[in-house]
Amino acid sequence: MDKLLSPDIGLMIWTIFSFLILVFLLRAFAWGPLLASIDARDNALREERERAEKAREESEKIQRDLEARLAVAAEEAKGIVGQASKDAEALRSRLKADAEDEARGMIDKTRVQLEDEKNKLIGELRREVADLSLTAAERLIKKSVDPSVKKTVMDDFFSELEKQKAA
Amino acid sequence: MNMDHVLAHHLLDHKIADLFSLHGIAFALSKHLLTMWIVGIGLLAILSYAVHGKGEFAKILRHAVEVIVLYLRDEVVEPLLGHDAHKYLHYFLSLFFFILGCNYFGLIPLGDILRALHIPFTDVGGTATGNIGVTAGLALCTLGLIVVGSVRALGPVGFIKNFMPVPADLHWSMKIVLMPLMGVIELIGLVVKIFALTVRLFANMIAGHIVILGFFSLIFIIGSASQHLGIFAAGPFALGMVTFVNFLEILVGLLQAFIFTLLTAVFVGSMLHAH
Repeated sequence: MDKLLSPDIGLMIWTIFSFLILVFLLRAFAWGPLLASIDARDNALREERERAEKAREESEKIQRDLEARLAVAAEEAKGIVGQASKDAEALRSRLKADAEDEARGMIDKTRVQLEDEKNKLIGELRREVADLSLTAAERLIKKSVDPSVKKTVMDDFFSELEKQKAA
Repeated sequence: MNMDHVLAHHLLDHKIADLFSLHGIAFALSKHLLTMWIVGIGLLAILSYAVHGKGEFAKILRHAVEVIVLYLRDEVVEPLLGHDAHKYLHYFLSLFFFILGCNYFGLIPLGDILRALHIPFTDVGGTATGNIGVTAGLALCTLGLIVVGSVRALGPVGFIKNFMPVPADLHWSMKIVLMPLMGVIELIGLVVKIFALTVRLFANMIAGHIVILGFFSLIFIIGSASQHLGIFAAGPFALGMVTFVNFLEILVGLLQAFIFTLLTAVFVGSMLHAH
């Protein structure tokens, strides 16, 4: 049983040579190509991941950008609406004021016209009444009055009436 | 039947032919050497087929090999060797697969199969890694890798300095005293590491075989007392235990291949990176 525990130097050296040759052969025919393909696959995967990461970042940036622009647009829209409502309010009050002025002017004008009309009517009425009165008086005294006298009398009467009215 | 002979026949190497002799060392072709060559050629064929093959089976084989390769690369070699990992990865992969191949090839009773087939040549098979010469050879390859690797990484001066580590803030006179001492201690440490690698693999692989032979011997020991007891009691018992131990050997074969590779990586890694 001593042989079991005493190493055979020849076999030991054979082992070393055989194993080292195997290492080189395996490196050339198995590990080299295998590791190269694993590395290539890893690189491809990493590149793919990096590309995806970049695309994600890009899309996030675009989204952030859009959101910012949207916020600005919303702000602007709010400003525009505010301005418009302010303008509308101003316009409304101006129009109202104009309309009121115009209405007031029209009322005043109508009132003046009515006053004139009234005065004219009153004058005509007076004339008519005076005429009627004179005609009645003429009939009463059965005597025709000379038209020029009649006119003088009426004129005097009216001037007196005007004077009374003015007083 | 002599137990000593049985053990010698099953566990020891047999010389097949004398090849040549150099400085008194006989380089003979032996059973274990032949087994190693067969394992080597088989590995080369299988792994090349797995890497270059086109069929469905080659693809499956390639995936299986890749799983092991990636595990060894990511969990063993790269963490221990750092940026030098890619330089030596193929060595560790070869080491693992070679030891695994030898361990598992030893589980096949090739000599007995050949004998059953009436083939006259039966001096082949057996566990090459159960031969201390083979494990010593592999451990010496590790030693060579440690030396070559650290000389390549640190340069000859760095290698020697790394071999005699002394605290930098020490007085120079103390350094002079300490350096040879540390050198001797490191050298002993290195020898112990190599010796431990040699014996661990050898003992683990041979132990299972001895246990199996022991159980088989039980049949004959009990059978010499009572033939019936030997056949009907010891026989089934031994068969069950041997089957169990064989399954255990499948586990041990994988484990020892991994441990040898891992420890080689640990030793090389610790020498590559200065203390």
